[in-house]
Amino acid sequence: MTEAAEPDRWPDAAPLPAGARDVLPVEGEELAAIEGALRSAFTSFGYREVRTPVLEFADVMDRAQEGGLGGRAFRLFDDHGEVLVLRPDLTIPVARLVAGRLREHPGPVRVSYVAQALRPAPVGTARAAEERQAGIELVGIAGPAADAEVIALLVEAVRGFGVGGLRVGVGDVELTRAVLAGLGIAPEAQARLRSAAEARNLVAWRRAAADLAIPEDARRVAAGLPAMRGGPEVLERLRDEVPAAGPECARLAEMLRLLEAHGALDAVLVDLGVLRDWGYYSGVVFEAYLPGVGRPVAMGGRYDTLAARFGRPRPAVGVGINLDLLHAGIAARNGDVPAREGVVIAGGLDEELATAGALRRAGIPAIGAPATEGAATALARADGWRFAARRVDGVLELEDLAAGVVAACDDLVEGIRSSRS
Amino acid sequence: MICVPLGALFDDAIARLAAAGLDTAALAEAGRRLVVRAADGTTFVTTRPTDVPIYVESGAADLGIVGRDVLREQRPDVYELLDLGFGSCRMVYATPSGHDPTPGALAHLGAVRVATKYPAVTRDHFAATGRAVEVVRVHGSVELAPLVGLANGIVDLTATGRTLRDNGLVEREEIFDSSARLIANRVSHKLAAEPVDELVARLEHAAQ
Repeated sequence: MTEAAEPDRWPDAAPLPAGARDVLPVEGEELAAIEGALRSAFTSFGYREVRTPVLEFADVMDRAQEGGLGGRAFRLFDDHGEVLVLRPDLTIPVARLVAGRLREHPGPVRVSYVAQALRPAPVGTARAAEERQAGIELVGIAGPAADAEVIALLVEAVRGFGVGGLRVGVGDVELTRAVLAGLGIAPEAQARLRSAAEARNLVAWRRAAADLAIPEDARRVAAGLPAMRGGPEVLERLRDEVPAAGPECARLAEMLRLLEAHGALDAVLVDLGVLRDWGYYSGVVFEAYLPGVGRPVAMGGRYDTLAARFGRPRPAVGVGINLDLLHAGIAARNGDVPAREGVVIAGGLDEELATAGALRRAGIPAIGAPATEGAATALARADGWRFAARRVDGVLELEDLAAGVVAACDDLVEGIRSSRS
Repeated sequence: MICVPLGALFDDAIARLAAAGLDTAALAEAGRRLVVRAADGTTFVTTRPTDVPIYVESGAADLGIVGRDVLREQRPDVYELLDLGFGSCRMVYATPSGHDPTPGALAHLGAVRVATKYPAVTRDHFAATGRAVEVVRVHGSVELAPLVGLANGIVDLTATGRTLRDNGLVEREEIFDSSARLIANRVSHKLAAEPVDELVARLEHAAQ
C-alpha cells in the first residue's frame, strides 16, 4: 500500500486576520471590470464619484445611529488619544460629506462611491470583515420619484452584466408604521413587532400579533403583514384593509408606476417582510437577490433623518451593491477563465523593445520576459496570456498557447489579428 | 432543497413534511445517503442538527428544519418562518439537588461555572440576569460535569426532566421553550416566494 503524498508544507506561512482575504490577478481583473461597468451605469444617470477616508472619528460615525455603532466597527486611538473607527459603512461617511462639504449644493446631490467598508466578522462565521461596495446616494429629493430612480439604476446596472433572475424586494418602514398605527397598535407592542421583524423571526412576529389587544380582523392583518408580497395588487389590498395607511400605499404605488416607466418593474417585488434597521431607514427599504447567491447582493433605502445628524437636514435615498457577492453571482455563470490576448516576448525586457512597442501601439498587451529558453512560454502559462513570441535565428516565431501551434511570423500584430478569426 | 436534521427531530420532520403533501418516501429509506431526490423533484439533504443553520444561511439549502435551541445558540441570518410544534423541550439551568451551589459560587468565586453545549445561550442568560459565568464547553453527557466537580451546574435542553433526575440534578431556572422551526434562506425566501409560501401554508395546515 502506498501512502498518500504529503502536501507541500509552507514553512513561512503568513496568515491573515479572520475575515480578511487577498484578491489575485484573475479575480482582480474581473472585479475591475465589474467596478468599471457599475461606474459607467452610475455616470449615465449623472452620479459623480466621491471618496471618503478609511479613518473617521468614532464620535462622528456614532452620531448616525441611536446608541452609536457599538461593536460593529473596528476602533483604534490616534496619537492624541482620540478614538477612531475604520469606516464600517459607506452611507454614513457619504452623508457626512454631503451634509458638510456639499452643504451649499442646491440639490439634488447625486454621488457614487466604490470602496471598502470594514466590520468585525461575527465570531465563528465565514463573513468577510472587509466588504467592497459600489453605491449611489441621491440627496435632496423626498418622494417616490427619487426612490424609483435609485431602484431603476440598480436594476439597470445589475442587468447590464447579463445575469437573469434579478429580483428587488421592496418594503417600506413608513408604510408598515402607518399600518400598525392605523390598526390601533400601542407603541410598546409596535416595538415588539419591530424587534421580531429585525431578527427576521416571523414566528415571534405572529405571536406578538396574536397578543395584541385589538379587534380580531386587525390582528389577522397585523399577523400577515410581513408575509404580504407580490405586485401592485398587494398595496390595493392593504389600502382596503387599513384605510389609514392610504397615503403611504399611494406613495408606494406611485413609485411602482414610475418603475414601470423606467422599464424596471418586472424585477421588483413588493415585500412588506423586507424590514431592516427600522431606526435608520425612514421610507422604502429594498434588497436585491440573484439566484445562486445566498445573501442579498445589494441593499438600500430612504433615510431622511441621517443628514440632520450631520447638521444639514435633507432627504436621501441610496443603495450599496456588495461587489464580492455580485461577482460571485456573475462568476457562477462563467466557469473557466478564458486566455487573455497578449504576447509574452522572449527578450522583451531588452533586445525586443521595438517589437514590444509596436504591439502596445496596436493595443495588444506585450509582456517582457527573459530570453532564456522556455521562460516566455512559462510566463504566458502562469499569467494566462494566449501568445508567446521569440526570435530564432533572426526569425520571429509566434506560439499560440490556446491552439497549441507555433508558426514563423514577420509581423506579430498581423499574426495575432489573423489568429483571432 | 430542504435540509432535514438527523437525530431526535428526524422522524417527526418526515411525518410533518409528508402530511404537508411532500413525497418523503425516498427520504425515509435514505439509509446513509445524505442527498435524496424525491420523485416530485424536491431535494432533501440530511445533516447534523447543529449544521442545519449554516446550510440554509449560505443558500446551499433553501429551507431547513431545526430546533429553536440551535437558532438561539447560533443566531444565523435566516428567516424563521414557522413553529412546527414538535420536538418540544425546554432550555434550563440545573444544579445538583439539595443546596443550590450557585449563590455560594457567586459570593466566594465571583462567577458560577457552567458546563454546556450552548455557550452563547449560557452567556446571554447569565448576562441578562446580572451574574458572571464561566462557561465550560462540553460536547456530550453534560450532566456528568457537576457530578465530578467540573462545573457548578449545567445549561441544557430537557424534554421530560428524566435525565436530570437520574443524575441527581434539579432544574433551577428555565431559560426558554424550544421546538422545531422551519427556516428559510434570505434569498430563497424571496426568489422562490410562491413555493415557499405554499409549503408554509401546507405545513401550517398539516399541524392543525
